[in-house]
Amino acid sequence: MKNAFLLILVVAAAALQAQVTFERLLRAPDEPQNWLTYSGRYSGWRYSALHEITTTNASRLAMEWVFQVGDLGQFETTPLVVDGVIYGTGQNDRAFAIDARTGRAIWRYQRNLPDKLQPCCGMVNRGFAILGNRLFMATLDAHVIALDTKTGNVLWDVMAADHHQAYTFTVAPLAVKNEVIVGISGGEYGVRGFIDAYDAASGKRLWRFNTVPSPGEPGNKTWKGDSWKMGGVPAWITGTYDPELNLLYWPTGNPSPSNYGGERDGDNLYSNSMLALDPDNGKLKWYFQFTPHDLYDYDATQIPILLDAEWEGRTRKLLAQANRNGFFYVLDRTDGKFLFATAFGHVTWATGIDSDGKPIVNTSLKATPEGTRVCPGALGLTNWYAPSYSPETGLIYVATSSECDIFTSAPQPYRAGHDFLGSVYVPDPVERPTGALKAIDALTGAEKWSFPYFSSPNGGALSTAGGVVFAGDSDGNFIVLNAKTGHDLWHVQLGAAIYSTAITFEVDQKEYVVIPAGSALFAFALRE
Amino acid sequence: MALLVVCCVAANAQEARKPTSNLDFSAIKEGASLFRGNCSPCHGLNARGGGRGPDLSSGRWTHGSTDEEILRTISQGVPGTEMPANALEDSEIRTIIAYLRSLAPPRNITVPGDPAKGKKIFFGDAGCSNCHMVRGVGGVLGPDLSRVGAARSATYLIDSIRDPDKELSSGMTDPNNHYGLPLVYDTVTVVTTSGEKITGVARNEDTYSIQMITMAQQLQLFRKRELKEVSHQRRSLMPPYSEDALDAAQVQDLISYLETLRGMDEKEVR
Repeated sequence: MKNAFLLILVVAAAALQAQVTFERLLRAPDEPQNWLTYSGRYSGWRYSALHEITTTNASRLAMEWVFQVGDLGQFETTPLVVDGVIYGTGQNDRAFAIDARTGRAIWRYQRNLPDKLQPCCGMVNRGFAILGNRLFMATLDAHVIALDTKTGNVLWDVMAADHHQAYTFTVAPLAVKNEVIVGISGGEYGVRGFIDAYDAASGKRLWRFNTVPSPGEPGNKTWKGDSWKMGGVPAWITGTYDPELNLLYWPTGNPSPSNYGGERDGDNLYSNSMLALDPDNGKLKWYFQFTPHDLYDYDATQIPILLDAEWEGRTRKLLAQANRNGFFYVLDRTDGKFLFATAFGHVTWATGIDSDGKPIVNTSLKATPEGTRVCPGALGLTNWYAPSYSPETGLIYVATSSECDIFTSAPQPYRAGHDFLGSVYVPDPVERPTGALKAIDALTGAEKWSFPYFSSPNGGALSTAGGVVFAGDSDGNFIVLNAKTGHDLWHVQLGAAIYSTAITFEVDQKEYVVIPAGSALFAFALRE
Repeated sequence: MALLVVCCVAANAQEARKPTSNLDFSAIKEGASLFRGNCSPCHGLNARGGGRGPDLSSGRWTHGSTDEEILRTISQGVPGTEMPANALEDSEIRTIIAYLRSLAPPRNITVPGDPAKGKKIFFGDAGCSNCHMVRGVGGVLGPDLSRVGAARSATYLIDSIRDPDKELSSGMTDPNNHYGLPLVYDTVTVVTTSGEKITGVARNEDTYSIQMITMAQQLQLFRKRELKEVSHQRRSLMPPYSEDALDAAQVQDLISYLETLRGMDEKEVR
């Protein structure tokens, strides 16, 4: 009897601490009680099959706990949840593990960062990847590190690039097979962008894909002279993965300087593109460039959503992306073939997209010393905030901004590690920017509904099988909407801007939803 | 992108100094570019003051006028103000200083007028103090002007009196609300469910609620679902003062008074 009891204890303990294998990541949709990758699953849907919280009971949501990170700045993490434990990162490369039922910390970590780091947009980090019993974090000083899930102890630490040259990481890594995949930041400083894969066990770098080709490589001639050397093209948002095709889809950011093209004539490959990479060796299978020779900072760093659907009489493997440049694109993800694009808001920089997927550019809208008004503004019609796709509604939920900017030329020489923008932009002072959460038909790009925000957003969307969409605005409201209609079901004021997106998980047969706001994680569940 | 708010323009025109920087034209050009990229969102594209930051083109400085003092102001910020610390290299800051020095007027500017008469105008017939507070005295509908002389140029102040709609700041103050600051002085009209129309300035607002000060200078707090309508007007509630209301000499006196206002601990004009 005693032995049997011990056996049960051992089994229970093992279940609590089960390793997150690659097979579990592949089947993440089958364990909705957890949140195992940045987007919840490899296809980038940010959708959960949990359905305890519904359109009829969302008004009974109540706070369960609050976890304070203990730092200031934009809190952009997407936490992971594994078997009752939450793992998250915070500002200034803090990190933590929390008891998911109580909000109590299990461990905390803070990286000892060097002085004078220069991330363009805050000392932020967007989260971990997990594989085995290790958490992987890409740091602001351009290192990749592995932490032990039980203690937060550092298991390995490798330098990817020189932070003195303004290389930084803000991205949440993606674990695929035995690899940890990351993309660099620094497009505002003339870095040369890359996507790296590291061995999860040892930290050894397995491959690097340079997002700006060097002389002799295909694409280099799309850069004038030596402009490729400081060409930018960061890759700062987490990509998605199709295990059947064994292709990694990773979007890239702006060429440098971001708002002046005079010294970099050409399309500037592979800026503002979707890259399809072989995760086994980092080789490029295909690419699609959304905004060639960008002048407005239209990074394509929006999460690509992978879905299979009937298209012109046959099931096709599609990739959908609501792009920062204001157009919603659908590609065939087997070969990158352009299928269609349509504007999902007010766009002036281009009058449309031609049949090859190239923008029809309004060439009169270059930055001038007096200022030129361009829509969308530099922060985009949407940005890095996570979209969500619900297979039940067939809708993609996208946070959007109405901001148009005045671009004023401010040419500057390249100096390693320094700002390299070429023009400055300020919001059009005549029209106060607002925002909206838009529901877009994934197969037509048609807008089905739009929920207005008072301010431009910085948070994304989560949809669930409960028929609801969770969203957050820049004024601190955490909001639940009806996924089919956009009807406002419930909201709560959290007291600080929301810079991330909700996740959901289940412990003890109870569905929780967690949202970062200000410098805290807030957990909600249905009132008993 | 970091926003830069340098609080440095003072009313006393005697502080204008010869630039201590000895930087060439290329440095000024680079400084102009850096200024546009880092500072202009608050201080305006040409450093003449923006929705949030003061005029930096007058050559008069509140927090120290030497290169080293201005460098410190930019790199460390000004505690108690919206001016944050900035992670620019010292060499970059010096080019910004060179640029700002290049904007300074060639010689001292004096502000004519009688501050004592201006004070009487402010608290008297012109009715400024009905809406504006100075050192704890006055209304609450408009901005507190206790420090306005340190933040705004005479030109800006004259424009604000003659044509209050000329430099509206809403939408420029806090792009994307990155800093969590409420909007202020955004003219708004709400219509209640009973049909009452109330106009005032929004002290804060979001998707679901609005907090405003009415024309009667009362706080009114609404959930938007309790309102029939919320509309924003891109105009100031301050009336324009024409030559008939305030002649040129009166405006000059008023400006000379406002330029003495540099904080709570400054000597009172009598």
